[in-house]
Amino acid sequence: MKKILLIILPILLFAGTIPAITAAEILSKVDENMIAKTTKSTARMIVETRRATRTMSTVSYAKGNDIAYTEYTAPAREKGTKMLKIKDDLWLYDPSTDRVIQISGNMLKQSVMGSDLSYEDFMDEVELAKTYTATLQEDTVYDERSCYVLSLAAKTDNLAYSKRVIYVDKERLVPLYQELYAKSGKKLKTMRMSKVTKIKQRWYPMQVVFKDELKSGSGTTMIIDEVSFDIKIPDYYFSKAILRK
Amino acid sequence: MILKLAAKNIIGNGWRSLINILILSIVLTGMVWMQGIYDGWGRAARRQMRDWEFGAGHYEHKDFDKYDSFTWDKSNSKIPAELQGLVETGKAVPILISAGVIYPQGRLTPITIKGIPHDQEILEIPTEYLRVDDQAGIILPAVIGKQMARSTHLEEGDILTMRWKDVHGAYNAYDIQIARIMATPVSTIDNSQVWVDFTHLNEAKALHNSATHIVIRDNSDLIKLEGDFRFISIDESMQGTDAMINVKRMGGNMIFALLLFLAMIAIFDTQILAIFKRRREIGTLIALGMTKRQIVKLFTIEGCLYSVFAAVATSILGLPLFIYFGVSGYKTPQEMANLSVAGTAEPIKCYYSPAMLITTFILVMLVTALASWLPTYRIARLKATDALLGKV
Repeated sequence: MKKILLIILPILLFAGTIPAITAAEILSKVDENMIAKTTKSTARMIVETRRATRTMSTVSYAKGNDIAYTEYTAPAREKGTKMLKIKDDLWLYDPSTDRVIQISGNMLKQSVMGSDLSYEDFMDEVELAKTYTATLQEDTVYDERSCYVLSLAAKTDNLAYSKRVIYVDKERLVPLYQELYAKSGKKLKTMRMSKVTKIKQRWYPMQVVFKDELKSGSGTTMIIDEVSFDIKIPDYYFSKAILRK
Repeated sequence: MILKLAAKNIIGNGWRSLINILILSIVLTGMVWMQGIYDGWGRAARRQMRDWEFGAGHYEHKDFDKYDSFTWDKSNSKIPAELQGLVETGKAVPILISAGVIYPQGRLTPITIKGIPHDQEILEIPTEYLRVDDQAGIILPAVIGKQMARSTHLEEGDILTMRWKDVHGAYNAYDIQIARIMATPVSTIDNSQVWVDFTHLNEAKALHNSATHIVIRDNSDLIKLEGDFRFISIDESMQGTDAMINVKRMGGNMIFALLLFLAMIAIFDTQILAIFKRRREIGTLIALGMTKRQIVKLFTIEGCLYSVFAAVATSILGLPLFIYFGVSGYKTPQEMANLSVAGTAEPIKCYYSPAMLITTFILVMLVTALASWLPTYRIARLKATDALLGKV
């Protein structure tokens, strides 16, 4: 009996320290929540600058995370501006000039409508589980929620951010906070997610605050008013023809 | 004898001749001054671009297009073995170009990052300030131009963050310190540009000894290369600036063509009047044995002498102006100096080449000769008796 106890006890003690879920599994669950086959959303982007606060409304359609179409619906000055991303290409339609321009090179580095997001940020949406190796760090409490802390290291050299730190809500498996780092280790951007809502079977943050940590200002808030997943979206929404329509 | 007579007649004409000479002199002065400005501008631009940007010419990566920033991040290759020797002996300097972003006062500002060896001595850029003394340090010294400093409100000693993507597409960012603000007359190495050390930029871009441009010191070091780099001569590099100067020159020439035309009308008018007033003199000269051809020659030489006297007047009256603009130069308006055009950042010093002076004078002389000769067709069909009676 003593012998059995001596064998079982360490196993039980050791088993208590093993997390119920691995870092890779957490990341896969996060991807499952955040990425859908198709997504349609209406949102508001609130840009706070030193001088003023501007609010822009958008309607977006996305297929996976590498094809997306966004149309600005308000204010009047931006109304009709459209953006189409197909993998590594990004086009912008400007209604005032009735022109479609491809955004690349130095233009990708420019801010989108004065926000903390650059056009490049639209290009850098990736499936985390596929592209990063995750390591679990010490758990933390963020926004009154118990969170896993994952440190992500890029699997390949060609990812925009070679390191990320992500706080994942333990219960809902949704990211609540993210830090994005440069190769040199400098913190470049942060994202704070809140208003996590259950939509069908998935949890989804309805508010995200993007902050370019190198830029002054209090960041850009994206509030999602409506979102639906895995709905049928006609293919022409993801073709260049939609831009001039 | 005809020349003497023509000179006497011109002097005898008094005020009428003086006005003609003065008008021609003003036109000639303006033409020489303006040509001097354009020639001086071209020479200054060429010298400045040679000293600050292109040396005796440069090798450029085949994918690089200075008008297309989309190409910049991808247009670099390892320095070819044939040029490596020149680089090591200080006869060539490599430059690596990358797109990037800086955050002066927390404002996102797209820039061009240029890496150049800190110990180079070919270009005037003060690269000695780019030396990284603390190799383990994370703050890179950087040099920017005055225009860049003005537009970004940066001063020497300021520390800010610079961000870029490496060749694989991953973000990298360092803090940089403005080690020197250079006063360069070449806007193309100033506007929106940050200069850092060549080796450090290579490391930061995940490259090794790669360059976009390789500038050579002398034409004698020119090597025929095949591969990723092609040679661009200083003349080719200057094509855009030369074309712009020529367009400006054409505009100036149009104005002076008009002024010259007005001066010619004055001479033409004077000649017509002279022939009318001097018809008895013409008749007398014919009666004394001068041929009509000689009389036509007399009147044409009289006209031509206007341009000779005008040239003398120009060299006396215009000299102070020419000397002033040749020494102190013409300060271009601020709006133009801000247009990033080579050679306009400093006052343009006029350059009067002998060839330009001679061609300008010959042009004025020929046009004056034509304007003087045209009215004399009446003399050719003049009868001596009619002339003596005062009929033309």
